[in-house]
Amino acid sequence: MPHIDVELERLKTKLLEMWDLVEYQLQSGREAMLTADQELAKQIVKRDKKVNQFDVKIDRMCENFFALFTPVAVDLRMVLAVLKINANLERIGDTAEGIARFAQKFETPVHSDLLELTQAIPMYDEALAMFAECRVAFISNDPKLAKAVIKRDKTLNKIYRKSDAVATKFMQQNPDRISEALALLSIIKKLERVGDQVTNIAEEVIFYREAKVVKHKQDKKKKKD
Amino acid sequence: MTNSEKNRLKDKAFQVFGIFCTFIGLVVLGIFLFDIILEGAKRIDWDFLVSLPSRRASRAGILTAWVGTIWILLLTTIIAFPLGVSAGVYLEEYAKKTKLANFLEINISNLAGVPSIIYGLLGLEIFVRQMRLGSSLLAGALTLSLLILPIIIVTTREAIKAVPRSIRDGSFALGASKWQTVWHQVLPASFGGILTGIILALSRAVGEAAPLIVIGALAYVPFTPSSPLDEFTVLPIQIFNWTSRPQEAFLTNAAAAIIILLIITFMLNGIAVYLRNRQQKKIKW
Amino acid sequence: MSKKQPKLEARDLNAYYGDFHALKNINIAMEEKNVTAFIGPSGCGKSTFLRLFNRMNDYIDGFKVEGNILLDGNDIYQKDVRVDELRKQVGMVFQKPNPFPKTIFENVVYGLRIQGIKNKAVLEETAERSLRDAALWDEVKDNLNKSALALSGGQQQRLCIARALAISPSVILMDEPASALDPISTAKIEELIYELKNDYTIVIVTHNMQQAGRVSDYTAFFYMGELVEFNKTKTMFTSPKDERTQNYITGRFG
Repeated sequence: MPHIDVELERLKTKLLEMWDLVEYQLQSGREAMLTADQELAKQIVKRDKKVNQFDVKIDRMCENFFALFTPVAVDLRMVLAVLKINANLERIGDTAEGIARFAQKFETPVHSDLLELTQAIPMYDEALAMFAECRVAFISNDPKLAKAVIKRDKTLNKIYRKSDAVATKFMQQNPDRISEALALLSIIKKLERVGDQVTNIAEEVIFYREAKVVKHKQDKKKKKD
Repeated sequence: MTNSEKNRLKDKAFQVFGIFCTFIGLVVLGIFLFDIILEGAKRIDWDFLVSLPSRRASRAGILTAWVGTIWILLLTTIIAFPLGVSAGVYLEEYAKKTKLANFLEINISNLAGVPSIIYGLLGLEIFVRQMRLGSSLLAGALTLSLLILPIIIVTTREAIKAVPRSIRDGSFALGASKWQTVWHQVLPASFGGILTGIILALSRAVGEAAPLIVIGALAYVPFTPSSPLDEFTVLPIQIFNWTSRPQEAFLTNAAAAIIILLIITFMLNGIAVYLRNRQQKKIKW
Repeated sequence: MSKKQPKLEARDLNAYYGDFHALKNINIAMEEKNVTAFIGPSGCGKSTFLRLFNRMNDYIDGFKVEGNILLDGNDIYQKDVRVDELRKQVGMVFQKPNPFPKTIFENVVYGLRIQGIKNKAVLEETAERSLRDAALWDEVKDNLNKSALALSGGQQQRLCIARALAISPSVILMDEPASALDPISTAKIEELIYELKNDYTIVIVTHNMQQAGRVSDYTAFFYMGELVEFNKTKTMFTSPKDERTQNYITGRFG
């Protein structure tokens, strides 16, 4: 294998390691939220430092790669994509940490009626599924799959948009559980951000495979309408 | 007339002048050849080649002369080739750029310009008298060797110089010594050029009469030489001798001998050209 | 840094061409099985320095060396060092491909022949191994008796590398090995260097900054006969310490 490919492969492997870690963080966040497991939440917060280390390391690897190999064309787009995916993964990692911090506030697990009403669990699952699928799209260089991932973001947005009204209603009915509802609302907001970040990552996969810029396309369409 | 038209005219004029100059030499040579062939061709036959010289023009042949010439050529080659090539290799590959080397170099160039009769005198003193070789083939060949040595040295050096530095570097870098580099790389690569130089030098030697006359080569030799220590004559001397006779028939003989001499010279030059072309085709740096 | 014995080392090295001070007080140590690139503007002394390691400057009139050049800890400029033995350990590849005007086979085994090796089996085996290592075997295996001059420039350069490998050196010096080649051939040579560093210590002079980045582990920047900076290539290319290095590698020189 040519030297440049060896180095690219190393870069990709490193990024996937980080990806796995972030995915694990996100999954743990879900569990911590549902079980109000203080210990688990603490671990998540602690592990975020590791995510940040990955972020720094991959940034440095990309810098070296640019400096030593002066990549062009597909190689250039690949490294640019890795750089941006890295940034997004780091943010998702931060989000997982944020969720864990909220979970630390829960004294008891969130009530199932509230979860039911806000559809928080299906939302969380959808976000995790998108994240996993995006990873597959990246590994298999599959822009089609990436496009499918982008479309799934709508589900998250829908749940998020409804959540305000649902939570307000719940809080009016259960004034004693306002703080719990607020925390859950924040988590839902964070999950919505995760959806956006996964979308960004998927856009980078499309960019690197097809050299097409897909982000901000929808904004333009909307303006035309 | 505009300036550019004027320039174009000048250009044309010079072109015509140049062609004229180029042809002068060729035309003179052509006339000379034509004249010689007209005069001498009818005299050339087998008898002319295999007869001994004679007082009677019609019976005289050039056997002793051309055999002598071949002898001289061979001996000169045997003597001058190793000496000249070795000296060339030494000067080009080994000699450091010292004052002595400079001195040697200048003097070799000077030697190439010394008139041939001076070499004859040198040969007479050293080979004929001091070394007591007499007016023999060996003395003649040694004298001619001296004459063409500078040419061989210079052409050897040129041929060696044409071998790129990078070939030597490549050889040295693989651990080869200087001698190995010269033997395995430089000499094989420049051999065509060296050979060409030697043959051109020989074709000059073949036409020399003056130095051989000075060392005492005879005009009349009634036998073909059988050893390097025999007395001898060569074609140029035979020609010189015949042209100085008053009889018309001897002049015809001289013309015929000139044709033979020219054929030998042209053949040598032809071989040189052939070798050079083959070398150029074989090796492209 | 580990305390491992450096493969190549220069200590307080000064070199002169007559009165010209070509290399000024250079200290450098290169580790085994690494690629070190020498970069710098023309005339900065990098080629001169490279050629010290197999004493190729010995034949230059008026050239003088002070200080020490060490190979595996031994000074190669000591009087008792035999240059031909040294060059068996330190091979060299030149800027312009310089195959000998002989067959491909004879080119590869030349180094062995001058060592007096005549055994045909040994020669053939070495030729094949060297050509394979130089990634040329598949292209020439049916034409070993053809003239080396009939090969393309890139092939010729790989032949020259094979020729150097044939005498089993431990160090290979390369003086701008790809500067006379097209991009494809250049890429092949670079790949080859990347492969060869598993077994050899390689020092390469290059004018091509990207090439230094791609192939080398360490980079040394020379300027006006001085070694300005020597560091890991990564560091040199992302955060050089010296202003002059920065200007040179970013193309802002002078």
